[in-house]
Amino acid sequence: MSGSARDPRIDHDVVWVVEDSAEDAEAIQRALGRTHPGLTLEFTDRGAGVAERLLEAARRPGLVLLDLKLPGLSGAEVLRSIRSMPELNDVTVVAFTSSTAPDEVDATYAAGADSYIYKPVNFELFTTVLKGAVDYWQRRAKGGDEGPAAQPPSS
Amino acid sequence: MEQHEGRASSRADDGWWSSRLHELWRVSDRVQDVAELADSLYGMLLRMPGVLAVVGARWSGGLLHYLRSVTLSEPTPSFMEVEQEFGAAAAEDPDGDPPVTVHEVSELDGAMPHVQLLVAAGARIVAECAVPLAQGGWVSFMVATAERAAVDVTLRSRLKQVAEVTMVSDRRLMARREDELRQVSDAFLAEASLQMDSSLDVERTVRRVARTAVPAVAEGCVVHLCLPGGLTPVASSHMDAGEQQWLGAVAAEDLWLTHVLEQVLSRGQGRVLHGDELEGGPFGAASSGAGRAVRALSVNPLRARGRALGTLTFLYHRVVIAESASRFLADLAGRAALAIDTSTLYEQRRQHVVSLQRHLLPSELPRISGLTLSSAYEVGDASLDVGGDFYDAVSGAQDGVTLLIGDVCGRGAEAAALTGLARHTLRTLLEDGGPPEHALGRLNQALLREGTSRFVTALVAVLVRDGKGFLLRYWSAGHPAPLVRRADGAVEELTAHGDLLGVLEDIEYGSGSAHMAPGDALVLFTDGVTEARAADGTFFESCLRDTVAQQGAGAAEGFAERLAATAAGFRATGADDIAVLVAQAEVVA
Repeated sequence: MSGSARDPRIDHDVVWVVEDSAEDAEAIQRALGRTHPGLTLEFTDRGAGVAERLLEAARRPGLVLLDLKLPGLSGAEVLRSIRSMPELNDVTVVAFTSSTAPDEVDATYAAGADSYIYKPVNFELFTTVLKGAVDYWQRRAKGGDEGPAAQPPSS
Repeated sequence: MEQHEGRASSRADDGWWSSRLHELWRVSDRVQDVAELADSLYGMLLRMPGVLAVVGARWSGGLLHYLRSVTLSEPTPSFMEVEQEFGAAAAEDPDGDPPVTVHEVSELDGAMPHVQLLVAAGARIVAECAVPLAQGGWVSFMVATAERAAVDVTLRSRLKQVAEVTMVSDRRLMARREDELRQVSDAFLAEASLQMDSSLDVERTVRRVARTAVPAVAEGCVVHLCLPGGLTPVASSHMDAGEQQWLGAVAAEDLWLTHVLEQVLSRGQGRVLHGDELEGGPFGAASSGAGRAVRALSVNPLRARGRALGTLTFLYHRVVIAESASRFLADLAGRAALAIDTSTLYEQRRQHVVSLQRHLLPSELPRISGLTLSSAYEVGDASLDVGGDFYDAVSGAQDGVTLLIGDVCGRGAEAAALTGLARHTLRTLLEDGGPPEHALGRLNQALLREGTSRFVTALVAVLVRDGKGFLLRYWSAGHPAPLVRRADGAVEELTAHGDLLGVLEDIEYGSGSAHMAPGDALVLFTDGVTEARAADGTFFESCLRDTVAQQGAGAAEGFAERLAATAAGFRATGADDIAVLVAQAEVVA
């Protein structure tokens, strides 16, 4: 995120995944395990309490992958509760859904998502999409968007 | 001399070198990116005797992408992004076996960033080995020493060995990546097509295309369509919600981008722009703001059935992806164009059908003293074909009215043409006061003359004042028998058979008459009503009389609409249109 003073409690190598489908959670684990073996993934299958746990976490994740279709507290509601806490401004939230319906996209942005990612069916494509999202936000977190400049060693 | 010294100095570490080289080969099999070899590779070369620094430069033509370096004083590899064009003369494209060349640093162009790194490390002599990369361009490894003697046969052959590992590893990776890209592209095309097909609304289709592609294809996507006001952005999506607005503004206002899009559109050929091709625009390392992270741009024309519809633009933050995907992009643009074209055609066609259907039915029914007329038309299926049902009402010379209803079998353009012919022929002749048998006979001849394989059913009903009510006479040519709903709710069927029109020269009509008292209603309909079928297989015909009895109990206005809506609501299958025309004799106070 672009917060001027970065949150020292954020660990950009930690990703929280809020996903109720066991198959999708397994696919995310498999895909990111392949492309980003260095990431620590933490899974939760419901939205209730996610924002509060983020607030309390000693190591806050740099990225939250949020499924929009959750039982109980919906993805959009989780998003709104995270965004209602200014302490969590530096946590990037990527909404992850199987819908490309424009109304849903608009509503998700309005609720404060940093990215809206379409969840493909094909696993290879799924891996590519996840990798694209994680790479993008990791580059951003490491200042990769600030144009040509000397960088710490990469890979 | 040189050779002997070289051997002597390196013999001790021969074992070390070959074990490291072996390790490098092993690692090279696992890496996802050839850059992952960099750490071990640079470290190995730096440990060679007399080496001050190792610098790697990634080139495409005269474009220097980045540098990697290690020096004795800074052995941790550092990375420096350059993305600067130095002209084709700045570097030579290697081909085939990587040759090792040796240069005096003082003879190299001191303005080049890699030369500056070499100078800073105190190098006087540099041994260079360039490796062509499968994805285009090459990487040049430079080993810096203080004196020429350090560049011995061992150093040269070891430089060549690591260059070869890099080259082989790169080719293997590229083959694997191409295979993956093909798989991912095919999967993407399939899923994108599915998303596009799920909407027939142009704007929604376009927004779905833009959404599905990010980040599967690129970090940003913009779709422009050729609208009456010119090339107009209709959808954009960016990986970063915070940059959507910037992208939208660039898509709408940037003149450089507009120029590029128009060029692509007029040439009809996709383009990938990177390096200095981005100069003067809102993208690339030289630009400011959000566009700075954009390393490459691809623009493809959207064309369907020979027409230019617009452009599909992708923004990449990594240059490599854009280079290897032109066939895929052209494919994607082709499919998107088809989806957009289908949506556009659907909308146009829907408009045509609506206006055609309007011409086939009377815009309003005449007002007849003593009678309340109502009518309804329900389209049977959503396939957009014009249906063949028609009805009309012609006011009589004296008090009274002539009603007509009919059905041309089938749907589509031919059925629509015949429907127009049938309705206007009957209407014109009936308006002129001709007898109904004559009007139906003329229509039969016209249909036979047309040589059509379609037949028509029709029914003409004439209502004239008779005391407080009306006298009804009717002529049917194969049309479903009308119903009369009496004021007390009883429903009677008027027998009417007769031959179809458009089949035989001589036809017989099913005719008859009845008296209609105040409150009685004549209900005319087409077979779409009787043949409407519920999910359990029952036809609406089985409950038609009851429905007429019930719906007729309400206001005379809207009787036909209520009946048609009930039939349409009943229908689970049956694609026929439904037409209903009702005349109800008013109750005189």
